This record gives sequence, structure tokens and C-alpha cells, in this order.
Amino acid sequence: MNTLKVENVSYSYMNASGEQQVLRDVNAEFEAGKIYAIVGESGSGKTTFLSLVSALDRLQDGDIKYNGKSLRKIGGSEFRLKYVNIVFQSYNLIKYMTAKENVEIAIDFDGRKVDANKYLKQVGLSEEEGNRLIGKLSGGQQQRVAIARAIASNSPIIVADEPTGNLDEETEEMIIDLFKELAHKEKKIVIIVTHSKQVASHADKVLKLRKGRLN
Amino acid sequence: MFRNMLKRSFLSIKRKLSRTIILTLIFFMMANLVLAAITIKTAVGAQMDYAKSTLGGTVTIQADMDAIREAQKEEIENGSDRKEMFKNMMRPAITVETANKIAEYSDYVKDYSYELSTSANSADLEIVESESGSEMPGGPNGLGDRMRGSSSSSSKLDSDITISGINAYAYIAGVQNETITIKDGTYFDEDSNDKAMISYEFAELNSLKVGDKFKIKNVYTGKAVELEVIGIYDSSEERANANAIYMNIETAAKFLSDSDYNDGEYDVSNVNYYMINSDKAEEFVEKINTDFAELAENNMKIAVDTSEYDAMSSSIESVGSFATTILIIVIVAAIIIITLIVTINVKDRRYEMGVLLSLGAHKSNIIGQIAAELLIVGTFGFVLASVSGTFLAKAMGQSILESQTASSAQQSERNFGRPGTQTRGGSSDMPTPPEGAGMGGSNMKQRMLANSNKDVKLDINATPIDFVLLFATGYLVIVLALILPSINVLRYQPKEILAGKE
Repeated sequence: MNTLKVENVSYSYMNASGEQQVLRDVNAEFEAGKIYAIVGESGSGKTTFLSLVSALDRLQDGDIKYNGKSLRKIGGSEFRLKYVNIVFQSYNLIKYMTAKENVEIAIDFDGRKVDANKYLKQVGLSEEEGNRLIGKLSGGQQQRVAIARAIASNSPIIVADEPTGNLDEETEEMIIDLFKELAHKEKKIVIIVTHSKQVASHADKVLKLRKGRLN
Repeated sequence: MFRNMLKRSFLSIKRKLSRTIILTLIFFMMANLVLAAITIKTAVGAQMDYAKSTLGGTVTIQADMDAIREAQKEEIENGSDRKEMFKNMMRPAITVETANKIAEYSDYVKDYSYELSTSANSADLEIVESESGSEMPGGPNGLGDRMRGSSSSSSKLDSDITISGINAYAYIAGVQNETITIKDGTYFDEDSNDKAMISYEFAELNSLKVGDKFKIKNVYTGKAVELEVIGIYDSSEERANANAIYMNIETAAKFLSDSDYNDGEYDVSNVNYYMINSDKAEEFVEKINTDFAELAENNMKIAVDTSEYDAMSSSIESVGSFATTILIIVIVAAIIIITLIVTINVKDRRYEMGVLLSLGAHKSNIIGQIAAELLIVGTFGFVLASVSGTFLAKAMGQSILESQTASSAQQSERNFGRPGTQTRGGSSDMPTPPEGAGMGGSNMKQRMLANSNKDVKLDINATPIDFVLLFATGYLVIVLALILPSINVLRYQPKEILAGKE
């Protein structure tokens, strides 16, 4: 079974008031086929944890291993390309491209030839909406494009930061079902950072981050 | 990955039209100037090669006046009678045999010319008077002549007509500078013995037509020769000697005394060798000095004259230097401008790059995307400029050339009007050898140089190599302009970019 292990990860940074310890000796294990919800107050280190797990940031102490292979050895960009995909809170879509082109970019990175419309349809976007430039879509639609892009890439790990923050209840349900399907049927590791109790209630396991420690 | 990169590049070019248009315009303008400069430089190179082969320079063998003056000074100091010395003094000369032998150095000599000139008169012929009322000056250049001879004691002979024998019609100064044209009949050649060309004014005054015969007599030797009019020429030269009669060298030699004729080994003047290549002129002089050492011993001087080539090449070289300066300025300016635009563009697209990095794109892939965008837009600009650049090059090249030649011509005209440039070191008592390498004296020479400068033309047409150079230069500019923005991209960390956005 595919597993993502976080081993003794600590992270700090310097600011005007000195060294700030964000994560302290964090240990966790994420298994394929499950949805994990990371919850915690603002400033608890959720985003930093997400950045490290998705290899957006460099590890300081400790290690992250996928199926026993260290992230340090795999390399950040390779890890992001092959193992993980991220759904950002602020969507992070490329504005001069259409919804479909944003999804296609993610597909193209791993060299597959799949119709992007399939993924857009999965998140409830029509073909016509898929051909619109990002700026012509609502916040909720953009969020769905970001999710479609994440699921379109063939990565075994999906990390989502408040993925349903801008969605109405009905779409939120649909997206949660989609994440469940990805985890349970396609056997991906789904890690969701959220404030929403509703989203957390659908997770197979909820992890709390408090003062840099994961419980 | 590569396909993805190209796809992103095309999308960016297509969707960010204003940026694409600005970049295309910059590349288009740069490429126009680069192509113009390259094309002009190519044309300059070709013209220089052409000038070297056509204006190969002239090597002249003439009397060394400094050496003669030195010899005179010594004799006077040794107590010689000044009048007697000048009376008996022989001007150094080169024999027609030696002149012909030197002309046989075919590695250096393209063509050659020499003259045999003297003064003549005739009781039956009227003389054309100058506008000021005086008769035209004697000698082809208004200076002196070769046939005064040792027997002559008079320096005030009644010499009205100038006999000018030359080995080829084309080397008459007036023909060379295109002031002489044939009005009637034809020109003489080496077979036209006892035939001569007379001026239109002289013909009118004496009612002479082509085919008519007239007799003139050498004022020094008294030898009379009957000549047939082969052609009537017209000269546009303001101060042209209308009493000058041109003929081939053999005919002119008939006016020599038997001793001066010397069984066909008579002396000639204004001996000029027209070089195949001006670069070899000095080498040729060395060779003459070695093989014909007696020339220097006999106070003959071998002078190199590449002034016509120099005059032409200086104008053309100025155009070439100007083109090089433009090329350097344009390349540097283009690198700076494109670097600035790309740097700003990279900063503007920081977020997009963060997204691509978060998707797993390598930084090299992102730099590749920027490079591909520049190369695509640049290629479009270069192709457009390939059409317009040639026209710009023609307009620019000719305009620069005109301004350069105008200033060179003005300089020549100024030199022409300057006192002391008409003759060099002439003494009132001494027969002065003609100056200016047989072109009719330095006045004529200056005018010819000015004229030859005005005639300089550049054949500006872009060659396939010019286009290759344009594209190579353009792509080099793009690569250099990418260095700084690429360093910025290499420093990007996706978390920093996207965290800022979050």
C-alpha cells in the first residue's frame, strides 16, 4: 500500500521578533485510499505543513518519505511532478488560459493524452465553461477548475487547502464526493487542510495541528 | 514537457497580444537596423574588393626633382656657370624599351601608359586663343615637354601647338576624367600612324575635317610631319588646351631628331603602371628598384600613387565604420531593452511561474518557455525585417555614402584651390616634369579624385549570408537578453510566490 510518512519534521523561520518555531517534531503517516483532514487554528502551521508535504518548501529537519523513498532524494520538482498535486485556496490558475487549457497543462506534464473535458465534467463544469478564460469564471467555478486540474494529473497524493471555501453547499457536497471517490476508488492519498467541520466530518481521519504539533 | 512548454509559449503569445505586438515591433526595428548595417558592411566589403581590383593604384616613374636640385646646388657650389649649367642640363628620362620591360611584370601590372610630348608650329595653321586673349599654354599640361633636346638653346621658341603622343587613347587625361569626347571621326590606336586627333575649336578655326591632312613642325628639332585628322574631340574642361593634338607614340616619335630617336630607344615621360591590386604597389616598386637600379642612379624616382583608391576607399570605409557603429549600438540597445522587457515580464508572471513550479515544472522548462516566446516573436520580427531591411539598407547606405563623399569632395575641392598644389618644386629656369601620374597634373588629379568620389556607389543588396547573420545576431541578442531574467527565475521558490498570493 502506498504511504506517505512524515518523520520528525520541524520548521522554523526568523522574523523581527526572533526565531519562530512553526512545526515541532511532527510525525504522521498517510495511507492510500483514505481522506485526511488537517484542522487547526490560524497560525497553527497548517499551511507550512501543507507546503512541506507537497514539496513546495524545503525540509529543514526530519524527512518525508513516499513508499520509503525520501523526498530529499526524489527532489522537490520531481516530487511535485510525479507524486503530489495541490488544490490551492486561491485556485492558482493561469489567467491567460481557458479552464480547459489549465487542466490540459497538468495532463501534459505527465505526458498522457486524456480529454480535459472529462475532468471538468467531474467537477460540474460544462464544455462551454471549459472554453472560457479564467477571468470569465466565478470564484466557485475557478475553484472547481483548480480541483479538476489536481485530479487530472495522475499523482497518487492530492493535497487541498480549503478546497470548498468558495463553493455553495451543493457543489461542496459534489466535490467532497469526488475526493472520496479519488481516495476510496482510485486509492489516492487525499489530505485536506480545512476549517470546515462539514468537510472534516467526511474525512477518514482528522488530525489537529496545535502550536506546531500534530495530534 | 517540451510540447507543454511550446503550448504554453504559443498561448502566452496569442493571449497577451499587446506584449507580443510591442516585442514584435522592437525585434522588427532592431532587425531592420541590424540587417541594414550587415548589408551595408557586405556591400562595403564587396566595393573595397572591387576598388582594389579596378583602382589598383598607379606606380609612376618620373624625374626626381629633389635629387636634380641637389645636383644643381653642388655644381653651383663647385663654381659652375649657372646659365651654362641649365642650358646643358639633361632632364633624366626613361627609355621606351625600359618602360616596356617593366610593363612585362604581369603579376603586378594591369596596364601602362607613357607619353612623348613636344611643341610644334605651322605657318599655315591658325592657333586657338584663350578667352583672356593669350594663346593656349604649351605642352599637354601647360608645363614643359620631352623633346626640347640637347640641341635646343632657346627657351622662347614660337611653340603654339602641343603634340601629345601616348601609347593608348584611353590614358589621355581628358578621356580618363571624361572631359574629352569624340565629336567626329574616331580615336587613334597603335596602328594609326601619321594620324591625329584635333580639338573641335582648332578644326573649326582651320576648316579641318576628318580625313584632311596638315603639316606641323617640331619647334625644337625642326622636323615636320604631315598628319591626317582621324578624329575631332571636344573638351568640356574649362582651361583645356584647344591646340593640343593627340596621336599614338610612334607618330609622335617621328618629330624627334635622329639622335633623340636613337634607333627606337627614345625617351618617354609620364610613365605610369596601373596596378592589378593596390596592395602590391610597394612590392612592385621594390622589384623595379632591384631590377632597374640604374633608374635611381639616373635621378629617376618611382612613386606609388593609390590616391584614387584611397579617396574611394576612405568614403566607403567611413560608411563601413558607420555601419559597424550602428550595428554595435543597435545590438547593445536591443540587449538592454529586451532584457528590461523580459525582466519586467518575468516579474509580472511570477505568479504564473509559481503555479507551474507547483505543478512540477522544472525551472529550466520555465526559462525555456520564455526563450521560446522570444524566439517565436523574434523570428516573426526578423522575417518582417528581412523584407523591409533591404530597402532601409539601400536608403541608409546611399545617404551615408552621399554625405561622406560630399565631405570628401569638398575636401578635394579645397585642396584643388589651395596655392602650391598645382606644381611641386618647379623652378622658373628648369623644365618642370609633369606631375600627377600622367593624369594631367595635380589640378586635374584633384578634380578627378573629387569626381571619382562622387561616382562611388554601393550595390546594397542583402545576400543569403546577410540573412543568416541577421538571424544569428537576433538569436544571440535574445540569448544574451535572457541571462538576467533567467537568474531571477532560478531564484524563484514556489512557496514564496504562492504563499504571498495565499
